[in-house]
Amino acid sequence: MSTTELDPVFAAALREILVATVEDTPRVRRRWRWRLGPGIFAGLTLVAGGVALAAGLFSPPGAPLDTPLGAAVTATRTGSATIDLGPRPAGATDVSLTLTCLTPGTFDFPNGSSVTCNSADLSNPTVPPQASEVVPLSPGIDTVTIDTSANASWTLRALYVNRVTTPWGINASGQTYGVANENGTPDLIAVVIDQGKTQGYVEASELNCASGGDPKSIAQALAWSAQNRNISIPVYESDGTTIIGTFVIGGATGPNAKTVPLSSLLRGCWTK
Amino acid sequence: MVRSNEDEPATWAAALDNDGDAFAAIFDLHRDRVYHHALRMTANVHDAEDVTAATFLELWRRRKSVRMVEGSVLPWLIVTATNLARNLARGRRRYRALIAALPRSEDSRSAEDVALGRIEEMRVAAQVREALSALAPPDAALISLTVFENYSPAQAAVALGITDGAARTRLHRARTRMATNIEALATADRDDTTKEKSR
Repeated sequence: MSTTELDPVFAAALREILVATVEDTPRVRRRWRWRLGPGIFAGLTLVAGGVALAAGLFSPPGAPLDTPLGAAVTATRTGSATIDLGPRPAGATDVSLTLTCLTPGTFDFPNGSSVTCNSADLSNPTVPPQASEVVPLSPGIDTVTIDTSANASWTLRALYVNRVTTPWGINASGQTYGVANENGTPDLIAVVIDQGKTQGYVEASELNCASGGDPKSIAQALAWSAQNRNISIPVYESDGTTIIGTFVIGGATGPNAKTVPLSSLLRGCWTK
Repeated sequence: MVRSNEDEPATWAAALDNDGDAFAAIFDLHRDRVYHHALRMTANVHDAEDVTAATFLELWRRRKSVRMVEGSVLPWLIVTATNLARNLARGRRRYRALIAALPRSEDSRSAEDVALGRIEEMRVAAQVREALSALAPPDAALISLTVFENYSPAQAAVALGITDGAARTRLHRARTRMATNIEALATADRDDTTKEKSR
């Protein structure tokens, strides 16, 4: 076997994973964050930590902290357009974008996320039809492009920011707590439950197990995801011992869907 | 040289519409080029496999922002593989469990095995790798696209999302730096060899 060819065993398995990933990706784009269910809301918090921050609800340790630099640029356009952000201030690392829908449509941010507005969203008196993203700056690029259909109108407010990652907290037991970031995953991962009303932490190891653990084969991984069930794990205070709620993992729905605690599963994790 | 098949734009469009087989066809079309590039950027086969896997997983995750160059996603894949190889631990973290679960052939191959038969070739490859790693990631991607993958500076500029002028300026600077680095590395190697012989 030559090193100049990709290992066929590896390539075949990767190909299978890619096909499954593409076909399993929901076609429905995410809508307003405030409309997302508690699981998804918390899921986004797990990944980035930026969602809850943007909503001003919860700023867990390890989350990014953005300091605005310079003046905001505001532009209104119809259809896809590129907005010039102006000269980049010293220290700028990212650009904070807030998009307001002026007409129904789907609007794509440069980082791949998108927001969809319908006419009901536009007439909602309590919540503005807005979405925010913070996008890292690319070298030499001082513009932002929003993609949408030709007749969809939008207003974008863009502001250069300096983004730094705050340190994780450490509790009395020596566990780190906060959100996953470029430094890795803390022992206790921040979550939001009860429609955003309760903030707490789940054990990273329990979350990993409840999410399917580390499957040893593709068959194992597929078998795990084929089960129509959700798994609940405890939510703690930052001390890692006081239980304040439960966090449910899984997208099982319908009359046969059930939710079971991780502790009730004999083989909660492949590694156990 | 087949850089892209004529159907790539249509295949990519189908993949974006959640057609897994179409995405697999894109993988089949470009996997070897991406893997070869990853080998050039990393020190061993295992890392190159991981970079290849992460690159195609990123292609799907970031599918909305992929920049096509003349109907092909290959330049974007090369840029992404460059970044992932440069920042291996961080880039792979997102897919760590997934990639670790992928099976591999039992005869575990390493760069050392190959090096025994191709010492001089490996020495040059190591110099190129070291010189590339001394460049900023966008410059390393620029060099990779224009020198190793035969794209024009204008095409590389599209893949990187920078202007043609900026690409040419950066490229000139990067080539100069690369040449200096390789000369320095080659000199260091020659010195080592001379010392070995004089012992």
